[in-house]
Amino acid sequence: MILQRTLTTLGARSMAVARDAGGVFVLLLEVLRSLVPPSMDGRELMRNLYKMGYRSVPIVVLTALFVGALMVVQLAAFVKQFGATALVGWGTGYAVFREVGPILIGLMFSGRVGANNTAELATMTVTDQIDGLQALAIDPIRYLVVPRVLAMIVCLVALTVIGDLVALIGAMAMSQVVLDIHPLTLWYSLVDNLSTADFLHGVYKSMVFGAAIALSSCYFGLTVKGGAVGVGRAVNAAVVGAAVSICFLDFLMTYLTA
Amino acid sequence: MALVPRRSLTSLGARTLDLVDAVTDLVRVAAGTVSGAVFTYWRGTRPKGEIARQMHAIGNRSLLFVMVTLGFVGMVMVYQTCLLTTQVVDGRGQVGAQFARLLVLDVGPSLTAMMLATRVGAGIAAEIGSMKVTEQIDALRMSAVTPVDYLIVPRFFACVLMTVVLSIFGMAASWAAGGLTGYYSFQINPRTFFDLSMVAPAHVVLGMTKAVAYGAAIPIVAGWCGLRARGSSEGVGAATTAAVIGSSFAVIVLDFIISAIGLIFWGAGL
Amino acid sequence: MTAQRDGDAGGGAAVELQGVTVGFVSRRVLTGVTLRVPRGGRLGIIGPAAGGKSVLLKVIAGLLRPDAGAVRVLGHDLAAAREREVAAVRRRVGMLFQNYALFDFLSVGDNVAFPLVHGGAPPEGIEARVAARLRGVGLAGSERKLPSELSGGMKKRVGIARATVARPELALYDEPTAGLDPVTTSKIYDLLRADQAETGGTCVVVSSDVAAVAGFADTIAMLHDGRVRWVGPAAALFDADDPLVRSFARGEEREGAAVLARAVAIEPPGAGVWS
Repeated sequence: MILQRTLTTLGARSMAVARDAGGVFVLLLEVLRSLVPPSMDGRELMRNLYKMGYRSVPIVVLTALFVGALMVVQLAAFVKQFGATALVGWGTGYAVFREVGPILIGLMFSGRVGANNTAELATMTVTDQIDGLQALAIDPIRYLVVPRVLAMIVCLVALTVIGDLVALIGAMAMSQVVLDIHPLTLWYSLVDNLSTADFLHGVYKSMVFGAAIALSSCYFGLTVKGGAVGVGRAVNAAVVGAAVSICFLDFLMTYLTA
Repeated sequence: MALVPRRSLTSLGARTLDLVDAVTDLVRVAAGTVSGAVFTYWRGTRPKGEIARQMHAIGNRSLLFVMVTLGFVGMVMVYQTCLLTTQVVDGRGQVGAQFARLLVLDVGPSLTAMMLATRVGAGIAAEIGSMKVTEQIDALRMSAVTPVDYLIVPRFFACVLMTVVLSIFGMAASWAAGGLTGYYSFQINPRTFFDLSMVAPAHVVLGMTKAVAYGAAIPIVAGWCGLRARGSSEGVGAATTAAVIGSSFAVIVLDFIISAIGLIFWGAGL
Repeated sequence: MTAQRDGDAGGGAAVELQGVTVGFVSRRVLTGVTLRVPRGGRLGIIGPAAGGKSVLLKVIAGLLRPDAGAVRVLGHDLAAAREREVAAVRRRVGMLFQNYALFDFLSVGDNVAFPLVHGGAPPEGIEARVAARLRGVGLAGSERKLPSELSGGMKKRVGIARATVARPELALYDEPTAGLDPVTTSKIYDLLRADQAETGGTCVVVSSDVAAVAGFADTIAMLHDGRVRWVGPAAALFDADDPLVRSFARGEEREGAAVLARAVAIEPPGAGVWS
């Protein structure tokens, strides 16, 4: 009895996940197809770049400052124990550039921009504005989705680069305070031990995360059902989908590019 | 207070007032939740089985999500650490023990809470926000029921408990996935990998303190965002977004604060 | 301007508003509203959309504190009282919300029982009182249904049942008949009338349906742009001296349209600090 019920729910849930994953993939194909003769609403792109990028800078800077400081606090016990002050810059940089930076900034970006985008598209969908566009022979993919996807990729890459640098500032300040390490010591430790490849590894990741967040948020926004309650549910599904994709893609990218 | 025309300093003044108003609201919700949890919730007529229902909604329904994401993160962490350690000298024997320490001390609770901030924070804000815009909150108040006591306090209890439980599940998933990665990609013997010798009681205390603090912060921040929802479906969407950002940010700040306190307390012993 | 009912000697007023002003940061919603409803009185509030009617009702219910002015409800000064005292007054007030505001996670029966359960009524009697009240609104036996299964008119009646189940001394109805057909409308007003005759309580009704509310209330107040434009006996409404009031009440095209055109939607301040 219980087994059967568990299996039924599990099956239903797997079907739902498979349907959503398939839907996101189809959306990706449609976006790529729309890019073939590269025509796009430039004003819509600029508007989104401003809204998604520029206005996310404060939250990304705040997050990154704390994350950089946090890295040092985590390393501090280890460093104090072994006196390995020369390794702080290396450890912090390696972790922040390759993993922590792209993931945490990606999650924050998904919360701020992805969720907002889902809410916006979902509201348009439940108020029949998407049908309205189609009635005017305007392709919603080309008009709404493509500029958003491109804008989110560009914005997340830019924000990750900014966040990486700010996190280093946070780490420098924190290591000066807690471990009495001069900021320049940290800087040299970082420059001597890390290569451009480590930095670029994170940038590539943020590019892929940006696409995943964008596709997930657009997909759930456009497939919403059921009024105001539905909008809340869609936002929830979009951020959950983005978080799972980020963790999964992070693994995939690490594994493939190593 | 009479309203003076504020046209001259409109935007800035209004935004400052909004911010002050928002912060006052947050303090009020937080204080109300804590005092409700300690005193008033147990006194009044409370909905039967509400905490259990919320525990199901927050815990059971996030279990798979948390385990999958934490599993991937565990794999990545072990992979990256092994790459790093094999570059200089072969330190693969140490990877498992260090990974377990870091998992218990920080990554387990913090990443679980980041995931819950996304899923649970958005859920709570969407629920309470749509109650707000459909005047159900006002209807509660008409029966002299405090919305914070009725809506946020049960979620508060459920979320604190479930963040601790899910952190443990998340850590387990992460540890297991990390062990598999170590074995298949770097030939680390599972016996060497699954080594708890580096985990001290202080690490467990600190990690669990973090889980409790995150579990407390998420429903307070998300409930606050929900109660501030205005308008219609756009308002609910905005509240949900604000809840995700607000509770994620709260997790990061709390992580920093508690880690720093732990460092002051135990110093090099951590 | 006072809503004085004939023969209201002594007894005091159920609702007394003095210069009530409510304003969000950028826009005033109510300006210097002064009104008085005697105990047992029936006040109807009319006026164009976004004229502040619903806000006024929330001020009377103690859900919204005015920025200026005095609010006395059932002998308590709500503008100055602490939240706990306001909550105690609210227990003696019933309110029907514009969009019913039924708790969507509770069944119809639990919705109607809510004010009793949380108002400290003895638990034994609750079930019978809920059943009787639902019978009163013509929804006998629908305790177990969920609000989402009901039609608009039925939800409205459940909302009325919930507002009146605790026999409030003051009942506030926000648009009790909006979007309903004329037959249902007259049924709902019959219900409100019967309730009031039974309990002897005070009623305040906000409605856009001028003719129906004028038939129900003994006094009518018209709100326009957040101010009280006219107060008087319901019978005098259609022959009011003020041309704007007269044309609005009669639903006349030209001036009525002008009134409506001036009513602008209220834009509340932004929802979040993060957005």
